[in-house]
Amino acid sequence: MRGGGWAAALVATPVAVGVTYSLAAATGLAGYGAGGFTLDRVERVLGEAAVWESFLWTVRTAALATLIAGAAAVAAAVGFRGSSALDRTARALAVLPLPVPHLIAATTAVLVLGQSGLLSRIAASAGWLAGPADMPALVYDRGGIGLILMLGWKEFPFLALVAFSVLATRGAALEDTARSLGAGPWQRFRRITWPVLWRGLAPAAVAVFAFAAGSYEAAALLAPSDPQALPVLTLERYTDPDLARRGDAFVLTLLALALAAGAVLLHEWLRHRVERLDR
Amino acid sequence: MALGLLAVSAAAPFVLLALWSVGRDWFYPAVFPPKFTAESWRDLLSGERLLGATATSLVLGAGTGAFACIAGLPVGRSLARLTGWRRHAGAALAFLPVAAPPIALATGLQFSFLRLGLGGTLVGVLLAHAVPAIGYGSLYFLGVFAVFDSRIEEESRSLGATSRQTFFHVVLPLLRRPLADAFALGFLVSWSQVPLTLLVGGGPVRTLPIEVFSLVQSGQDRLAATGALLLLVPAIAALAATRLAASRTEVMAV
Amino acid sequence: MTESGLKVLRLRAPFGTAPGLENISFEVAPGERLALVGASGAGKTTLLRAVAGLGPGAAERIEVAGREVGTLPAERRGVVYLQQTPLLFPHLTVGENVAFPLRVRGVRGSRVDAAVGEVMEALRLGGLAKRRPQSLSGGQRHRTALARAIVARPPVLLLDEPFASLDPVLRHEVREAVRVVQEAYRPALVLVTHDLDEAGALAARIGVLLDGRLAQVAPPSHLFTRPASLAVARFLRLPNSVPGTIRPDGSFDSVLGVLPLRAPAAPGPGVAFFSVDGVRIAPDGAIAARVVELRYRVQQTTVVVALGDVRLEVPLDGQGELSPGIEVRLAVHAGAISVFPAP
Repeated sequence: MRGGGWAAALVATPVAVGVTYSLAAATGLAGYGAGGFTLDRVERVLGEAAVWESFLWTVRTAALATLIAGAAAVAAAVGFRGSSALDRTARALAVLPLPVPHLIAATTAVLVLGQSGLLSRIAASAGWLAGPADMPALVYDRGGIGLILMLGWKEFPFLALVAFSVLATRGAALEDTARSLGAGPWQRFRRITWPVLWRGLAPAAVAVFAFAAGSYEAAALLAPSDPQALPVLTLERYTDPDLARRGDAFVLTLLALALAAGAVLLHEWLRHRVERLDR
Repeated sequence: MALGLLAVSAAAPFVLLALWSVGRDWFYPAVFPPKFTAESWRDLLSGERLLGATATSLVLGAGTGAFACIAGLPVGRSLARLTGWRRHAGAALAFLPVAAPPIALATGLQFSFLRLGLGGTLVGVLLAHAVPAIGYGSLYFLGVFAVFDSRIEEESRSLGATSRQTFFHVVLPLLRRPLADAFALGFLVSWSQVPLTLLVGGGPVRTLPIEVFSLVQSGQDRLAATGALLLLVPAIAALAATRLAASRTEVMAV
Repeated sequence: MTESGLKVLRLRAPFGTAPGLENISFEVAPGERLALVGASGAGKTTLLRAVAGLGPGAAERIEVAGREVGTLPAERRGVVYLQQTPLLFPHLTVGENVAFPLRVRGVRGSRVDAAVGEVMEALRLGGLAKRRPQSLSGGQRHRTALARAIVARPPVLLLDEPFASLDPVLRHEVREAVRVVQEAYRPALVLVTHDLDEAGALAARIGVLLDGRLAQVAPPSHLFTRPASLAVARFLRLPNSVPGTIRPDGSFDSVLGVLPLRAPAAPGPGVAFFSVDGVRIAPDGAIAARVVELRYRVQQTTVVVALGDVRLEVPLDGQGELSPGIEVRLAVHAGAISVFPAP
């Protein structure tokens, strides 16, 4: 392996260490109450309905947020191109939320979407609600609407940037060619712009999904207590007063790391495909 | 109109948090605060808790930024020398600490930190923050060096400069901007970090996001909003100044 | 004049910070080739894009196959604009690329396959239908772009510097392909090039774009021997220029002797421009000169001769042994000489 390979492996070492320890702790080789290799804990945790509900809920929420952010990014990139002044302003605005930490975005979401939050107050002033209790739950709700909106809001700038840049580099010239060959606006979008756009956006969307699924603070502030988001469930088990349950957190950690690793592999494979298109 | 929507949604947190941090007696269902107060800002600036946490965060942020630069540059550079699937494999490895949920990293690494006696220490938290930051830095510099024309190094060498001289006098000056961006990237990773600090730092290490987090969870809206603004403004400032937006896209669009 | 093909009347278009194109009018008949030449930045691409509807510009009339299209969007004009580097759709196969113009026109099924197959055969792309554009060689990409351009039988084809930056082998390949396309499908073809020799070799007529205007449109033989103005003559970089005087009686006096002028010109200082065919070495020639240098080239070796201060380049044409210093005699071919008042 050449220099680059070793260097990258070094960067990934902490993850490897984390995985190794989690494997050991999950299978009884290390950690509290370690009594030798056993798959009991793994079986038990993976058999728990609460765990699967949590995992699936987390995946679904992150996926929805990514879809919404992605659709908005496509709309923004397609809608704002053409006029360069508009395009630049739109880009600058789209990018503004990029450095906002998840914590802040979640805090704002609580303040806005909570039952006594801004939205609720506006509705009450307009006479649509009688009181905070009438406000549909957008946070701590099973649907996770508040969380989805917040994650979508946070990830939109990143996807929009990628979409803008894909269109700018690959889209414009191809569109002119398609026009010259007789394709009308809808045909151009369907046959050329959209295929090029989604292929360029796919790797970024996968990355965004991984970030959304892994966010602890957003879930802690906005997700319901049933089902819990995976990061929150992990912390809960990890700090469980019942020491015997603490080991469960490692199984959950492995689950989360597996999801992340899958996302990373998918991301690199998609990037590889996109680069092949560019040759 | 769409532009307006974009503007409103982008500016919303700033405006709302600002309102919340100075609103007094702002009870339901008032849409605007009836009175204003600088109480929480006063408390903040004279109080030790938030100020202390801010200082801790600044130190951690600077350290993490440094890690992202110093470690990220050489890693990114050697990754850029790879081609084809090898480069993708290398990038995937560097991506792992970035994509891994911090909570999972924290639970996996906590034991090692305890063993090394770093649990609950500032150094420990710094090292923990460095894990994803170095990943970000590596990916970022991979992007930088992927388009860097190394022929300029050849030029320098053929004019008689050694590798070392070439690096310090030719390459590094060209990298001033990317280094600033990478530093800002690393800074942000640490500045907004919650789970790693929570677990590795335990009780002793209190950073600003940890403080804000607990304020929000305990429902102290006004103080939380104040802390949140304090958290927000340096983030925006640092990053606007170094056009981080472009950099982060490059991190992913390598 | 032509009821089909391309007809452009008084087109104007802005470009960059320069004044822009003004009053451009020309016609191209079906099956005819017009080459547009001009310096880099003269506005050739702007002109093509304006005609195609892809760039700014408007004309009193743009007619394609007898139909006014100036007010129509690019996709409905029947004008296909091909860029210098073939831009194939990367996410479609070669076959899908070629089929694209038919599909967007709603043609379905076997008719598409038949048309695509025919065009690909004609351009020697048979068997490549399932391949991806990234796996094609340079020549194959150019031919695919041409196949795609022509499959829906557009009345007008605009090629923007199709042969620039191609090595000689590739250039030959692409020129062949263009010839095939034209003979089989007979579109009105406008091709932009900065290479005058290429323009002369390929086109029935050449249009010279200078300072935003079409300075001259003429067949190559006419253009090279009778440039319409000093500017055009300079642009053509005719190798020979001789200063002299334009006499009130309509003749031009210089070291070449007294030559009749083709058209009346104001008396005063003048310049004669001509290519190597304007003057030749002839034993019975009226003018004395001395050989200075021989220039060896694959296509044609020329001889540089001196008459006093003036240097002329003339053809070497089996005159036997010539070497620097030898005295020769020259005969002038007045018909190939253009005279302009000196600026």
